[in-house]
Amino acid sequence: MGFWLELAASGLITGGIYAVVAIGLNLQYGLMRIMNISHGEFLMLGAYLTWLAHTTFGVNPFALMPLVALALFALGLVVYRLCFQRIARTAPAVEVIEARSLLVGFGLMFLVQNAVYLAWGADLRGYSYLVEPVEIAGARFQANRLAVFGFAVAASLALLALLRWTMLGKAVRAMMQSPAGAQLVGIDTRTLHPVVFGAGLALAGVAGGLLSMVYEISPSMGEPYTVTALIVITLGGLGSALGSLLGGFILGLVEAFGMHFTSPSLKMVLSYGVLVAVLLARPKGLFSR
Amino acid sequence: MKTTREQLLATLACGVVLAAAPWLLSDFLLALALSCLMYAALALSWAMFCGPTNYLSLATSAFFGLGAYVTAWSLGTLPYGAAVLAGGLAGSAFAALIGAGVLHLRGAYFAVITFGLGELALHSITYTEKTYFHTAGRIIGDPPENAVIYWTVLALALAAAATAILVRSSRLGTALRGIGSDEERAQTLGVATRRVKVLAFSASAFFPGALGAAMAVRWTYIEPLSVFNPFIGFQTVLIAMLGGAQTLLGPIVSAVFFTLVSEFLRLRFPYVFLILLGLLLIVLILYLPGGLASLLQRRFWRAGAR
Repeated sequence: MGFWLELAASGLITGGIYAVVAIGLNLQYGLMRIMNISHGEFLMLGAYLTWLAHTTFGVNPFALMPLVALALFALGLVVYRLCFQRIARTAPAVEVIEARSLLVGFGLMFLVQNAVYLAWGADLRGYSYLVEPVEIAGARFQANRLAVFGFAVAASLALLALLRWTMLGKAVRAMMQSPAGAQLVGIDTRTLHPVVFGAGLALAGVAGGLLSMVYEISPSMGEPYTVTALIVITLGGLGSALGSLLGGFILGLVEAFGMHFTSPSLKMVLSYGVLVAVLLARPKGLFSR
Repeated sequence: MKTTREQLLATLACGVVLAAAPWLLSDFLLALALSCLMYAALALSWAMFCGPTNYLSLATSAFFGLGAYVTAWSLGTLPYGAAVLAGGLAGSAFAALIGAGVLHLRGAYFAVITFGLGELALHSITYTEKTYFHTAGRIIGDPPENAVIYWTVLALALAAAATAILVRSSRLGTALRGIGSDEERAQTLGVATRRVKVLAFSASAFFPGALGAAMAVRWTYIEPLSVFNPFIGFQTVLIAMLGGAQTLLGPIVSAVFFTLVSEFLRLRFPYVFLILLGLLLIVLILYLPGGLASLLQRRFWRAGAR
């Protein structure tokens, strides 16, 4: 019993992180059709920021999360202004925005990843934080994983509530449903676009910071998370934040149980298999009506 | 505009001149020429399908890796030439299979799923090799001479150029351009869009497959990560878009330029090279989305209008 609980919990814990990364990517894609393939690189930046601040100044990593979010948000505004604004305004069709932003994303990926290689080298970095075990219902967990899981779920739920019950959230959802319609009812898309893009990167940064508390970090850690986030938003549906949350948990569980019943080296095959199967069977997402 | 026949003759003439390279160039320069030819052929074959249709395929490295593994598995039983042909056919077959399944998706979906399928092939081969053959990579014994490899890759590059020329001037090319500008309209006008797309996608995948098979012997030791390297796919897309995917000469010129620059920078400053590559990609997409060829064309049009 304790073993199955541990397995399910480990799937849900990974899934919680996936959800945060995926909601960030989904905000960017659902809103502006920007396929930001460099999303994981900003996650990696968040992880390095947290690691750097924690090891240099000894600050509690959880206290750093708002700062990391703010830093990545500001970076997001700059990146949007320099790279994506021009694409969004000059491209003749939605498809063209997708293709061009994908290529610009690859450019950003090379740029950010190798800048970090230059700055900190290829070594794995890490610190230990809250590693003492906690026992719940016969299952043993590391305290940091539980804390990270709690934080990830709280952040996702807070964002969902923000989208659901505030005016700002309403405006964002309106833009997801119909960009032109949103403009007609007086939503200022020119201010909202960079803000939402920045919020997406802030979520990536927070996810990276959370990951740095649990795993070792390296400049190439981001890429797999981009792919995972793509899988999750395909599972949950483009433009649906709730779908991303559920999709994240589903993928986490599929990976945990799949690896247990087959072999750990099949992890990537499992995730890609899920992606391909979902795209073939339900291209609009599992929860689409 | 030159006629198809003139373009084909020009390709043939280039081929005759380039075939003399193994007698004239040093080993280092021959290796450089080999990479130029390989990327020119990859970019040409990518642009053959993706240029006119506006699809963004990231599966090139999957076809390439598959071809390389065909050589790794069969060299020793098959002669080199047959392995190259088999590699190409493997690429085509894989492309036909995935094309039939995913070519109805467009835009970012298509790009993501072709990338995902490439990674799926990579991880599946890694797993198969590990579980059933207990190896991480394979040593390729008894590789053919450098000149033979060069001539094979040259022949593939010429074939890619000739195919690209023929496709452009044929009904298939017109159908592909029709699909690129408006798929529903093309369908209404009687183009069997699905069949045309699968056919062209699979034909264009012959070249990366065959090139992978031909180049595999250069490495002596191959492992899935080195031959399925997604970077090969990105670089192909980048070269084709940089040169102008709608044109014939664009991808060739930018392949030569790009290979020379990367050979000299990559070994000396690996990180700086990739940072510059990223910057170049961003600037080009933002300010020159039609590729370098669009610069020339714009000037040409302006001169013609006067």
